[in-house]
This record gives sequence, structure tokens and C-alpha cells, in this order.
Amino acid sequence: MNENQDHGEASIPVLTLFVTGSAPRSQRARANLARMLEQIGRSDLQPQEVDLLEHPQQGITQSVFATPSLLKTDANGEVSVLYGDLSEEEQLRRFLAELQTNT
Amino acid sequence: MDRPENTLQKFETGIAGLDRATRGGLPKGQATLVLGQPAAGKTILCLQILARAVERGERGVFVTFEESPEQVRRDAASFTWGADLLESERWQLIDAGPHPGAEAAGEFDIGGLLSAVTAAAGSNAGWVIFDGIDQLLQLQPTPRAAIEQIRRINDHCETHGQAVLITGKARSDSPAPAWLEGIEFLLSSSLLLSARVVQQKLNRSLRVTKYRGSDHVADEMPMLIDGEGIQLPYHEALPIGQPAAGSERLNTGIPRLDSLLGGGIHRGSSLLISGRPGTAKSTLAGTFAETRAREGERVLYISFDELETAYVRNLASVGIDLASPVASGTVRFQDFSAYASSVTEHFLALRRLIDGFAPDCLIIDPVSALLKASATEGAHLATEQLSDLARRRGITTVLTALSGVEGPEGEATLGYVSTLADTWIVVGYNERGGERNRSLSIVKSRGSAHSNQQRELILSDSGLDLADVYASGSEVLMGTARAMKERENQERERQRQLERERRRLDLEQRILQAEAERQRLEAERDHLDRTSGETDRLEHDYHEEIRRRRDPDHDPEPFKEGQHADGGKQH
Repeated sequence: MNENQDHGEASIPVLTLFVTGSAPRSQRARANLARMLEQIGRSDLQPQEVDLLEHPQQGITQSVFATPSLLKTDANGEVSVLYGDLSEEEQLRRFLAELQTNT
Repeated sequence: MDRPENTLQKFETGIAGLDRATRGGLPKGQATLVLGQPAAGKTILCLQILARAVERGERGVFVTFEESPEQVRRDAASFTWGADLLESERWQLIDAGPHPGAEAAGEFDIGGLLSAVTAAAGSNAGWVIFDGIDQLLQLQPTPRAAIEQIRRINDHCETHGQAVLITGKARSDSPAPAWLEGIEFLLSSSLLLSARVVQQKLNRSLRVTKYRGSDHVADEMPMLIDGEGIQLPYHEALPIGQPAAGSERLNTGIPRLDSLLGGGIHRGSSLLISGRPGTAKSTLAGTFAETRAREGERVLYISFDELETAYVRNLASVGIDLASPVASGTVRFQDFSAYASSVTEHFLALRRLIDGFAPDCLIIDPVSALLKASATEGAHLATEQLSDLARRRGITTVLTALSGVEGPEGEATLGYVSTLADTWIVVGYNERGGERNRSLSIVKSRGSAHSNQQRELILSDSGLDLADVYASGSEVLMGTARAMKERENQERERQRQLERERRRLDLEQRILQAEAERQRLEAERDHLDRTSGETDRLEHDYHEEIRRRRDPDHDPEPFKEGQHADGGKQH
């Protein structure tokens, strides 16, 4: 698994963004996440995206129903979730802290 | 043209009392808010509605936000309808609990959830339940954003023609759950479940707090949760129609009481017997039961707080045989412990017994156990409903009620029961001259000419009887006083007779005396008559003699008396 983690570091978590089509909040979340990844120097990471309108079963499997929401699955399978359109920068920064490259 | 989309359509909840109180169920195409404190029965209500829908072949989705799916299944499994629900494939259980430790960075919506629900339900889900959605929505940065999601749910179910239940935690000071203020305005119907502890007893209730566009019962309805789930015992449908009020009289087993009541009590009516402890209320009720059973009627005999064996034995000691009809099944005896259950539970138990046994007569001894037991909330309602139920089924009811030792106030607390009863008999004690005597008086008797005078109730080992009492001035006399009065009256009567006898004797005596006197006087008169003739004759003879002497045969001058006298002068 984790084929898209081409950095070779097994400890890097996987990010998954759950959205509902092109709803405004989903679009905002997408933009906010991209901006933050850039700020922390990880624009190289491409978060997975799951559209629950197209794949509702995914929500049930992952037990994610609030949209948008960001899932972070670390190497040993532990999942953390951040709900919302990710407009609160500080919270998003804390959530992604471990991904931050040394500046 | 009919436009059915404009009229409110309802889905049955399958809970008889709730369907009746809401005139047919909860709205289709709208969300209903189910509010309640923790453990008030919200989840059970939702599961039960779902189970009934699934039973009818409808589909549903249960979304749990707070309890784990395992917990929800365990909840369901503890009810009689649970097994069928858990086996059915017509519904889905979705675990939508927020991830532990989840936070929110900005507003979110539940579009993903709704799409999952639609996917799970297919297009024809009847019921969709969101249980504990506040767990998720409280992560919204503002209440406005949280409320907006409820609106989305409401719109969603309108589009899909589903009936939706949204549960939320009630707070004492607000009609809405925390973080969802204003939700009560948004949704067109809401239910409030509550569980209050009254005198150590849990009293549950359900209230339809809002139902836009539909008539409904707005009162707080006592609610029960037992093995069959949630019930609103007082709001289940009663049999339609009323048995004709007949004029048939049932004798009570005490002929003199029957005659006071104008021939007994009417079939299908209710008789209340109230009095202080030990005033023979149970004996009266038992006499009635025995009499009815002997005529082949089915009697349901409910005893509160006294066990069957003791009760039947006590009645046997005054010559009332309940053991035989109980053995033959004519009398169904059931003892209850008043404190063991709440009033509503008792009511439901009684109702089930009445349904199951279909009695002709119902005896509850004492019904006041319902009133005075702990957690008496709803006791009045229970009694009223029981009376109503019995009346509609034509069951003749005898209720006994314990009045307090304080007397008048004790009777006052029974006031409302007594208004329900068609006939009210008060039994009591009369204390006089260091003695207590049982008394009985008929306070009211609808549809009967009856005597209001107090009678003495006499209890012996051959049962009950009534004795006439003596009104003495403003009092009625009983017991020894009555016996004394009786003796006094007998004595007076005897005296009167003696006196009459004596006078008669006296008169006869005097008649005899008078008779004797009369005889004496008659004798005297006869004597007089007899003797007077002789006297006359003697007198006559005497005079003749005298004359003869004066006129001797040879006297030549018998009439010259003067000469003779001169001649003597010459001597």
C-alpha cells in the first residue's frame, strides 16, 4: 500500500479529503488544504479525495459523514479527523504539524 | 382534483397510544424532533417505531451518532420486537459517531451523510432516524451552522417522502438541545420524553409538544417501558360504543343492603366503598364477589398489598367462600404490591388482566393503594381510565377506598373517585359509650331511590347483615346502645301491658264488687218486699185484736167509753 508515498518514509501519514461534489465548502476545503500544504512545504503531497455523492459507501466504510472532512491515517492505521472547510488555519496547522518539513 | 401533496400525510408509529394521540402517526416528508433527557427512552422510541415499520414491510435507516451499533442492537434485543428487527434486512444501521478526538476547523455539512443514507435506504425508506446527531453537530463552530444541517435533513426527507426522527437531549431550561436553539421552530413536530423520579419511583411520560397542521393530544401522557417497549396505556383505543345502560340489578349478597339500594346495584355501574381500616370494606367486597360468582359470573378480584391466601382465609372466617370459585376459575384473584410498580405499570397490568380474563365484575381492594402509593403521579388518571374502561365494557366494578383516620379530609381525597362512582357507600365506626360499632350509609346512588339513613353493619361468622338503627334525638344508636334502647323499649311496652292488665283487673274487680253490692241490695229489696206484707198482716191482726178486746161480745154499750171512764174516776 501507500504507493503514492514515493518519499520512501514509511512514517508519513496518508491524507484523505472527503467532499461532496463541488459544494462551496468542499471547494473551500480543497483550497485551504492546498494552501496550508504549501505553507508547510509539503505541496508535494497529493491528498486523496473521496466524493461521497459518488461513493456514499466509502463514507459508511470509513464512518465519515460530515463533509468536508480531512482524514489522516498514519502508518500504523490510526485515524484522526478534522471536520470542516479547514478555514481555521491554526487548527489545520496543528493537525498537519507532523508533516511539516524542517524549515 | 385532489392534490394529496398539499395534505399532511402521516406514517403510523405502530405505538398504539402515540398513533391515537397524534391522530394517525407522525408526518411523512418532515422531520420530528424527539427530545428527552438521557435515559428518557428516545432511542427505544425510535427503534420501536422502526421495528413496527419493518414488521409492516417498510424500509428504514437508523443512524446512530452516540451509541455504538452493538449498543443499539443490544437495546433492541431486550424487547419482544427486537429479535425480528435484528434479523430483518429491510433496514440499515449506520454508525455515524464522530471519530474520537475529532475536531472541526470550520463549518461542515452532512451532505455526505445524507448521500450515504440515500444509498443505504434505497428510494423507498419509510423511516430515517438520526439518533444523537447533536454529538456531531456540536462540532460546528456556530449554532447557526448546526441548525442549518437540521434544515438540510428536513429538506432531504421532504424530497424523499420519508418520515424522519431526530433525537436530541432536552435541557430543563430550554425547549431545544444545546447548540440547536431554534430547532423547535424549524421542525413542524416534536415529542418530549421525560423521566421524573417522584418519591423514589420513575415516572415516565411523553408529550406531543408540537404538531403543526394536525390535531393531537397535547397533554403529558404517562408512558411505560416494559418488555414490549414503550406504551402509553391511557391513550390506547378503548372499545367503540357503550353497552346499553340496562336496568338489571345485581344483588350484593346482603338482602337488606339491596333493598336500601332499591334492589341492588345496576349492572355495569361502579360501587365505591370507602371507610377507615377495619370497617369491613373487604368483607362487603368479598360478599359481592361470592354472590356474583355463585350466579356464574366471572369476577376479577384485585387485592393490593394483601396476599391471596391471607385474603381468602380472612373472608372464610366470616363465612365467605372465595376459595371454591377461585379453584373453579370463576373468580380470578390477583394480588399486587402497590409499591412494587408505578401507577402506570399497575394500570397496564390491570388492563391486560381485564383484556385477558374478560370479567363480568371487577373488584379492586383498595383502589386507594393507587392513590396513596409512592409515585402517585397519574393515579387519578389511572382510576378514571379504569372506571371508563370497565364502564365501556359493561363490567360492574366495586372499588374500595381507605379513608384516612383524620376522617373528613380522608374522604375529601377520595372526592374525585366518588364522583366517578355511581354508588358510594361509606362504612365507618360509631363510637359511643366505650364501644365501636360498624356503620354503613349510602352517600349516593345514581338512578336509585335509596335510603340515606345510617345502618349498623353486623359482622358475624355467617357473614354480613344490616340492622336498623334507633334514631334518638340527633343520634343514631348502635351496638350496646341500640340493644339498650331495644331493651328499654321492650320494658316500656311490657310496663304498658302490665298497666293495662292491672287496670283491667281493677275494673273487673270493681265490676265484681259492684255486682255483689247489687245482689246485696236486691236481696235487701226482696227482703223488704217479702217482709212488708207480713208486717201489714200482723199489724192488721193486731188492730183486730185490739178492737176485739175493746168490743167484747157481751158488752151492751161497747161505744160508751166516756161513761166507763167516769165510772173509773169514781174508784
